[in-house]
Amino acid sequence: MTEAPILEVSELTKRFGGVTAVDRCSLALTPGRIYGLIGPNGSGKTTLFNCITGLAVRDAGIIRFRGRRVDGLPSHRVANLGIGRTFQVIRVFPELTALENLLVVSRRDRDGAVARARELLGFVRLDGLAGEYAGNLSYGQQKLLEFARVLMLEPALILLDEPAAGVNRTLLNELLTAIQRLRDEGRTILVVEHDMKVVMGLCEWVFVLDYGEKIAEGPPEAIRADARVIEAYFGR
Amino acid sequence: MRHVRWLLVGALATTVVLLALYPLIASGYGIRFMLQLFMWVALAQSWNLISGLTGYVSFGHVAFFGTGAYTTGILATTHGWHWLPAALAGGLVAVLLALAIGFPCLRLKGPYFAISMLGLNEVMRVLVSYFEGLTGGGLGLSLPTLYASVPIYYAMGLAAVVVTAVAYLVITSRFGLRLMTIREDEVAAEAMGIDTARHKLYAFLLSAFVPGVVGGLFARDQGYIEPIAVFPLAFTITMIVMVLFGGKGTVWGPVLGGVALFVLQELVWARFLYLHQFLFGAIIILVVLFMPRGILGVLQQRYRLPRYV
Repeated sequence: MTEAPILEVSELTKRFGGVTAVDRCSLALTPGRIYGLIGPNGSGKTTLFNCITGLAVRDAGIIRFRGRRVDGLPSHRVANLGIGRTFQVIRVFPELTALENLLVVSRRDRDGAVARARELLGFVRLDGLAGEYAGNLSYGQQKLLEFARVLMLEPALILLDEPAAGVNRTLLNELLTAIQRLRDEGRTILVVEHDMKVVMGLCEWVFVLDYGEKIAEGPPEAIRADARVIEAYFGR
Repeated sequence: MRHVRWLLVGALATTVVLLALYPLIASGYGIRFMLQLFMWVALAQSWNLISGLTGYVSFGHVAFFGTGAYTTGILATTHGWHWLPAALAGGLVAVLLALAIGFPCLRLKGPYFAISMLGLNEVMRVLVSYFEGLTGGGLGLSLPTLYASVPIYYAMGLAAVVVTAVAYLVITSRFGLRLMTIREDEVAAEAMGIDTARHKLYAFLLSAFVPGVVGGLFARDQGYIEPIAVFPLAFTITMIVMVLFGGKGTVWGPVLGGVALFVLQELVWARFLYLHQFLFGAIIILVVLFMPRGILGVLQQRYRLPRYV
């Protein structure tokens, strides 16, 4: 890990009342890799995502993106700097068409935006449904639409919150291939995922959270054998 | 879809020409009727710009109307301003009020914003009643006599046309789509790089100008204003019902809703004084229950109509 990290989180802490959701958590991501973020329910994964993307305000700690501090910036600024995210629960814009869902994101001129949006709809094979209201699409299609939408930001770093949840096998394989292609384009990806098979097959490096603390990190094989990780998931 | 567009353009041009010629043959009642019709279309469309698009329901939009009315009233009585610049000044003051109130209030979500706007209207009404020296207080303000029904007819018509043209430009642009993302999912909009605070404020300012102007024209036309007459909650409710009925967030919904409900109200009101209030209540309930998108919203979904329809 000699290359400068694209994202560097140091000693990040976030509390909700008396609950410390993220506790002095540090991690660094090298560009062009796929990272996993795992941990039992309530271990602070989504809160960590929210802090990085400015949806939650951290209580302590520093977040640097490409060397620049982004903690304390409003969410839309973080997004425009190049950090895109998807949500655990689908959050498309239901009364906008699939195409419009993508158009609102781009800051290119209209023709350029339409061209890019059509290209991305093709990428997730929704080009036939461009004029359909997003709310009328199936669950899987909405998931793909959200995935295409985040790419309209041209993000250097993509945070995916449970991309595999509720997705059938065929769709899942397509999604995983798409994620790998994004990595090959040089983007960095951080995935929260519960499906261990997906994590082990996709990620090159995995962080493990438990009660808001990072308890382990390493390549998937090492994580699978780590005593602390097994304890966190199954108890002593 | 091409023929739809031409049909629309043709129908619009014909309507505008006919309305422009109407004063030549109209009776005094006819002019007054149409003048009020234009006023309601303009008010409903203005409400649509903020609430129909962003989903931030303004329960006090009549505050801008009343502010415009009093601005015009004061300028006309104490400074002898001509009605037209006075009404435009009313619009400007309404925008300044929106700017001042928009910063804090647009941070509030959902029902809290609605209630804060309700409060704004009450505050404005009390303020106007309190500064008696300037406004005449509860006794009201009598404006210098003016015989200008026909010019005000044209001005009201123009206000309705302008705000509808603005709605058209906004709704068919990406700016308008971004306003809709705020209604659809504000958190996701932020995460997708949309500066929601700025967008909301712009929409709010846009939505305040025409009610201010229209309030000024109303004051000039009536010749007498008092706090309870230009800050009534019922006006805001009427705007809301018109937009919900016609189709929120669409270009033509507020026009359709404004025309349909105003005509209906006049027909019923002329015969049964209180029945129209009951009728409006019933329409709110029915629309919310069975047709939350309104007439145009339903048509758009069913026939996949483009947003300019």
